[in-house]
Amino acid sequence: MKRSIVTFLFSCLFLGCSFAKAQEVVVVANKSVKASDVSDGDLKDVFSGDKSSLKDGTHVVPVTLKGGPAHEAFLRKYLGKNDAAFRAAWRSLVFTGQGSMPKTFDTDAALVEYVAATPGAIGYASASVANHEGVKTLAVK
Amino acid sequence: MLILLCVCSIGIPAIAQDLSSIQIHGFVTQGLLNSSHNNFFTANTTSGSVQWTDGAISVSDSITDKLRVGIQLHMYELGQLGGPHLDVDWVSGDYRVKPWLGFRAGKVKTRVGLFNDSQDVDAVHLWALLPESMYQTDNKSFLLAHFGFDVYGTMNLGEKGGKVLYTGYAGYRDLDLHGGYINTLRQAPLFLDFPSAPSGSIYGGDTRWQAPLRGLTIGMSASVSNLNGTAPTGGISAPASLLLAYYGQYEKGKFYAATEYRKNPVVGTIPTSFFTVPFSLDERAWYVMTSYRLITKLQVGTYYSHYNDKSKDTTLPANYSKDWTLSSRYDFNQYFYAKVEGHFVHGTALDFYTVNNPGGNKTNSNLLAVKAGFTF
Repeated sequence: MKRSIVTFLFSCLFLGCSFAKAQEVVVVANKSVKASDVSDGDLKDVFSGDKSSLKDGTHVVPVTLKGGPAHEAFLRKYLGKNDAAFRAAWRSLVFTGQGSMPKTFDTDAALVEYVAATPGAIGYASASVANHEGVKTLAVK
Repeated sequence: MLILLCVCSIGIPAIAQDLSSIQIHGFVTQGLLNSSHNNFFTANTTSGSVQWTDGAISVSDSITDKLRVGIQLHMYELGQLGGPHLDVDWVSGDYRVKPWLGFRAGKVKTRVGLFNDSQDVDAVHLWALLPESMYQTDNKSFLLAHFGFDVYGTMNLGEKGGKVLYTGYAGYRDLDLHGGYINTLRQAPLFLDFPSAPSGSIYGGDTRWQAPLRGLTIGMSASVSNLNGTAPTGGISAPASLLLAYYGQYEKGKFYAATEYRKNPVVGTIPTSFFTVPFSLDERAWYVMTSYRLITKLQVGTYYSHYNDKSKDTTLPANYSKDWTLSSRYDFNQYFYAKVEGHFVHGTALDFYTVNNPGGNKTNSNLLAVKAGFTF
């Protein structure tokens, strides 16, 4: 009985961690963006400052979150970086005259609102708050 | 510097936000240098010196989707170098036609190796001092930027090919009148006091391949430049020479590693009123570095940096410099950070000046560098 309880507690802990880690993040864009999907490479280039357009030619402007689970999940999944390295890379571009810092937001909801109102804007948010009539969700291929 | 500090201290987060498309960013750092034997960088470091300040402020604006303009003002003080002089770090217009083709013109940062263009941006590095073998703190303003233009772009080689980033450039550059080279030329026995900065043409390029293995970058840079200047009592003349750099870096999550090799042979003459001094250098430099982020706010790392002048007897300490470094950086938040770094330097080819080491240099000297920075 005791063993079952311990097993149960460990299972809960493990599942809890898994849920926490599996933060579902989606890529959102203003409806002016023609594409319905974006490649993994394009996404990385846009959020690294190497590109400002998608392969269909649509000009896009990246916007980011200041922190939080969706931010960490996005960086880890699509850029392979942590937040400090991501910020350092952008600062390097800004202070060498090679790029402009993306606009940042405190909350997923604020980011989604901005994306909805700004032509060309592209960002990311938790799946739970990305459902907004002014934005489209881009599939990442 | 005081003005910069004031600008940075008042309502920072507010001004860091863009007003429409205009962006304002900046940084300020203050350091402490304390050494065991020799005085470093013209500062009185054996007694502990706080004459190590850096600051910059940049303003940029995206005028259209493809056109961006900006300017960055920079000032620094390092011992007797730099001082209260506000320099234009870069000022440029940037027109990106396609992802694979863009143009930049004005005073633009020179891309050589991994860190040349960002070596004066303290906020982006773990290290308080980048490897001195090729990013010499006392002379960083010389290689940093050129007046001219860049052609640049990114070419995708497909899923299995990675991508290539290239930059080609041409223009001219000048010696910093308040930098290390001029300081050396101004001292005995040469006594060359240049009324205007010696300058020369420069052209070259950089190509870096971002491999399909995420985080791996391999690249090379080549740069050809000359230098000429005239002072009332003489001058300096160095015909065109070729600098080559090869480098690689790998980044995965919290782990980072990089290495770089540079070769830079230079010959020239320094004619003075009394005699002409021929000089030759055959600089060979390399380093290996690695770092790891222990926790979100704390990063630690180490590097070994090696320099020697192959045109001379490389067994003599005056012709080589070897530096073991241990470093740590703590980020208090997005804006403030601090660094603590230890250097164990063997050899005297770099970092030291006769003017503040009148008794000669000791072969071994350790240096503690502590730095606090603020960026927005």
